[in-house]
Amino acid sequence: MKLTRRNFIAAVIGGVAGIQATPLPWKLTDDVAIWTQNWPWVPVPPTGEFAEVSSVCNLCPGGCGIAVKKVDERAIKIEGRTDYPVNPGGICPVGMGGLQLLYDESLRFTGPMKRAGLRGAGQFTEISWGEAFDIVAGRISTLRKKGMPEAIAAVDGNPEGTTVSALIKRLMRAMGSPNYVRPPSITDTYRMGNLLMQGTLSPMAYDLENSDYVLSFGAGLLEGWGAPGRVMNAWGMWHDGNPSKRKTRIVQVESRASNTASKADMWVAPRPGTDGALALGLAHVIIKSGQYDARFVAEHSSGFDDWRSLEGTTHTGFKRLVLEKYSPEQVAKITGVNPKTIVSLAKGFASAKAPVAVYGKGKDSLNGSLYEFMAVQSLNALVGSINRSGGVLLPDPIPLSNLPILKVDAIASEGLKKPRLDQAGTMRYPFTDSLINNFTDAINNSPKSPVDTLLVFSANPFFTLPDGGGFKNALEKIPFIVSFSPYRDETANMADLILPDCTYLEKINDTVWPTGLQYPLYGLSKPVVEPLYNTRNTGDVVIELSRAIGESVGAGFPWENFEEALQARAKGLFDAGGGLVSYDSDAPAWQRKTAGKGPKPGYKSFDEMWEEMQSGGMWYRPVSSPKSWKGLFNTPSGKFEFSSKLIAQAIEDYSNKISKKAALKNMSLAAIDDEACMAHYEAPKAGADSSAYPLRMLPYEMMNLASGWIPSPPFLYKTIFENQLLKDKSFAAVNPKTAAKYNLKEGELVAVKSPVGELQVRINLFEGAMPGIVYLPLGFGHTAYDEFLKGKGVNPNNIVQAGQDPISGYPVWWNTPVKLVKV
Amino acid sequence: MKKGNDHGKHKYGMVIDIDKCTGCGTCMVACAAENNVSVRADQSDKERTITWMRLYKISNGKEFPHTEVSYFPRPCMHCDHHPPCVSVCVATATKLDFNTGIVSQIYTRCIGCRYCQAACPYGARYFNWWDAFPQDKGMDRYLTPEVSPRMRGVVEKCTFCHHRLMRAKTLAYAEDRRELEEGEYVTACTEACPAQAITFGDLNNPEHEVSKLIKHPFTFRLLERIGTEPKVYYHSSRDWVRKLGDNFLPGEYTPVVNKTWAEEEWSTKPGRDEF
Repeated sequence: MKLTRRNFIAAVIGGVAGIQATPLPWKLTDDVAIWTQNWPWVPVPPTGEFAEVSSVCNLCPGGCGIAVKKVDERAIKIEGRTDYPVNPGGICPVGMGGLQLLYDESLRFTGPMKRAGLRGAGQFTEISWGEAFDIVAGRISTLRKKGMPEAIAAVDGNPEGTTVSALIKRLMRAMGSPNYVRPPSITDTYRMGNLLMQGTLSPMAYDLENSDYVLSFGAGLLEGWGAPGRVMNAWGMWHDGNPSKRKTRIVQVESRASNTASKADMWVAPRPGTDGALALGLAHVIIKSGQYDARFVAEHSSGFDDWRSLEGTTHTGFKRLVLEKYSPEQVAKITGVNPKTIVSLAKGFASAKAPVAVYGKGKDSLNGSLYEFMAVQSLNALVGSINRSGGVLLPDPIPLSNLPILKVDAIASEGLKKPRLDQAGTMRYPFTDSLINNFTDAINNSPKSPVDTLLVFSANPFFTLPDGGGFKNALEKIPFIVSFSPYRDETANMADLILPDCTYLEKINDTVWPTGLQYPLYGLSKPVVEPLYNTRNTGDVVIELSRAIGESVGAGFPWENFEEALQARAKGLFDAGGGLVSYDSDAPAWQRKTAGKGPKPGYKSFDEMWEEMQSGGMWYRPVSSPKSWKGLFNTPSGKFEFSSKLIAQAIEDYSNKISKKAALKNMSLAAIDDEACMAHYEAPKAGADSSAYPLRMLPYEMMNLASGWIPSPPFLYKTIFENQLLKDKSFAAVNPKTAAKYNLKEGELVAVKSPVGELQVRINLFEGAMPGIVYLPLGFGHTAYDEFLKGKGVNPNNIVQAGQDPISGYPVWWNTPVKLVKV
Repeated sequence: MKKGNDHGKHKYGMVIDIDKCTGCGTCMVACAAENNVSVRADQSDKERTITWMRLYKISNGKEFPHTEVSYFPRPCMHCDHHPPCVSVCVATATKLDFNTGIVSQIYTRCIGCRYCQAACPYGARYFNWWDAFPQDKGMDRYLTPEVSPRMRGVVEKCTFCHHRLMRAKTLAYAEDRRELEEGEYVTACTEACPAQAITFGDLNNPEHEVSKLIKHPFTFRLLERIGTEPKVYYHSSRDWVRKLGDNFLPGEYTPVVNKTWAEEEWSTKPGRDEF
């Protein structure tokens, strides 16, 4: 047949029509669909027996109860426990994604390892545990023989008070090194403030659930402060569907429209670092209007009114200081907050039935400022919210047994006499336990590292310290680094030897008193699955290591294993009596019971109690009636001290040793005499010329991103918005007005430069950012781990230029001068 | 053939309290963990990354320091009236179950044409551009056998944790019951929310908390006026939040109540106290 135009068109049309009539295209589509659904690499999760194991989450010091669902030996889901007092049912997103930290093999060390490549490259070769112990013990023994045990140092990120932390401290003492340092946390600030004002050693106990007015100075209640499961549960209770039924007012004091600030009933935005001044402004209004609790002030406090000392000098009291220096107008100048707002806030706070002022700085994983804390705590005292339901409670310390007294040998006792590298506890920092920033400086400022061997436990200081990359430089100088991390984090990648811990789902461990909780609670987590790899619980490893070192060091650790050490401490919980080991969600632990009422413990012997604790994972004492005032405050005056006698004494002692001027300078104090003993505001010293660096950088934290030593489960990156992280660039939140000044548009690439470094980020125009401040999220910018976390965004810690907080010496990480430069 | 939508006994739905929602993202993570949702190295490309439950961040747009942010957690809305995805599906891979109100997705029927994805007004559907799980990392060890992992080339979405309904029913049948009690079947996000912002239940059962909550004047739905009758409701005492639930023209939106206590007392508009 000849191909004509007519034939051609007929053939095409005929063909198209014909194909519609045949089943061919449909069959092919169907086949393709079926084919793609039978790809052999699509996983088919094996089924099996379903079970649930109760445990306690250890990813942060909050210690929420978790129920892990299992199919045979595999853990398949983590859920919150409803039979645990801290978090009735809910947990945070990090805890929810915890299984990825267990099962993502490329995040983890699968056994003891020796460094194979350059430091930081993350190349390791596997060795045996025996070999690993030989290397560390050999090195330590050599140092001890040379008479320099102080060249061994430890960074311990386990929460204060936990058994593993107690063992690490003990190991350091037994070896003879005073150089045990911890990354700073808000609990350090609480501890110091409570010691100075109340003379108490218990953790901070905010009775949030019973309060009707929560005034939070910077605490990121919805950003992960305290035990997130507890705080968010309270948040749900506070926000009844019917606003007229809401009993509790929440006010957030913070410079950025964070989730807490936005979701609170009211948001007050002072300039960063001026929260203390604002608190004193409220105190001024409350004192002036006579709304303060005159009875508490008269009977249980000291330093409120002016007083005359034995020598006859008149001292300024808190009242005069506040009335003279912190009127709403004066405070408005410092903080930028409208004087009217200060007055109405003060009235609201003072007229509430059970107000509480909470102090914090974002999550609890970074330190605060001592005087800011004192200002906030003074506010609590002023309205009588100390030792009152709904305010700040003063429970007894948790009754854990002390470990037996440690006998140290001659080498160790010589070593322990050597000064600490970080100068904590010296006359310069009299109330501080540990100053890791000073520790870093001591290494960086000497030609040869004074630390020969560094042991790193549950910490990633390379990434988490706000020190402008100082710790990273220090690591490069330290001859030998041992990491006990289960994860391939930045610090571990710098290590020469890895003795990997199990992850929190593979081991027994304890949590002691979640941050901010108002009653004592001891949590016990248990292995949910058998260790997947050749890793060992660091608690056991510390004990084994002490034996490998031998001599008196080994003798200091009489326990067979870690569990025995845990039991030895928990013995005290039994001896104290009255603690509960199970929880009924109908009787929340924060609900006050009348004495003698409420649930009773069912166990009769320690073994019985321990058995129940192992299955239930808890020991706690519900909130009881307020304590008797007698002997409550263990301060020099025996009362709550608006004006701390300990500070006065410390300044005097130091001034007598060197000159007064030098003492104040070393303690970073601008205030003198009586003012220095009380809450007051001091403008932090400018770290750089403000014309060269006109803006300030403030790192901020998010609930849905781990910013501490734990890696973020990859699932969390689903929750990050595209104006927080896009491909490999994270964003700086900047007010549109500030951005307009530098002609910056949304998404534009800029360099944030501080005197110590620069970071490249994109701009996010955010109305909720305070003008003049550049907000950078913490938790991005990992250079370690796997493709899920590595190389995503930048770490603001790398450009932080931190001054020292007066008296405490902790880093002032919220005041870095920066400028923005277009790229 | 059945005529129209005759509805069976149950109509499951949820109410999300935006006042309680803290924007923490636990619902998103819980959902991903419960339903074997895939993870990829770059999850910042929101058109590619799979989030059955997704948080949308909203802002009142006011100047500092009056700015407020909030969040809309968005699962599949399980539209009750002609779900747009169902009517366009050429492979009958998605349908509305009249007995539960759940809009299902049958992966083995899906031919990956993505028509439903284009039709969905809420962006609740996701296409598997890649194989679900990174090989050789051991991450398939946390997968649950209750939900089948999806293959490359199919669309997936929130199922109201349908497997949990199956599980609850099996339990009830084993105990010789035909009906579920309130709370026996809830989705993973409902259970996970640490602030108890999500309430889940049977909208057809007047005893269930959800059917009481949806009558509240503060309760609204997203894009209500397109008439798809979503079974996911939102609740907020903040007017600017409710206003963002739909594309209102200027003057079209009638406020219910517009103050927080710090500014002024609560409005006494009718409706508030009746609840």
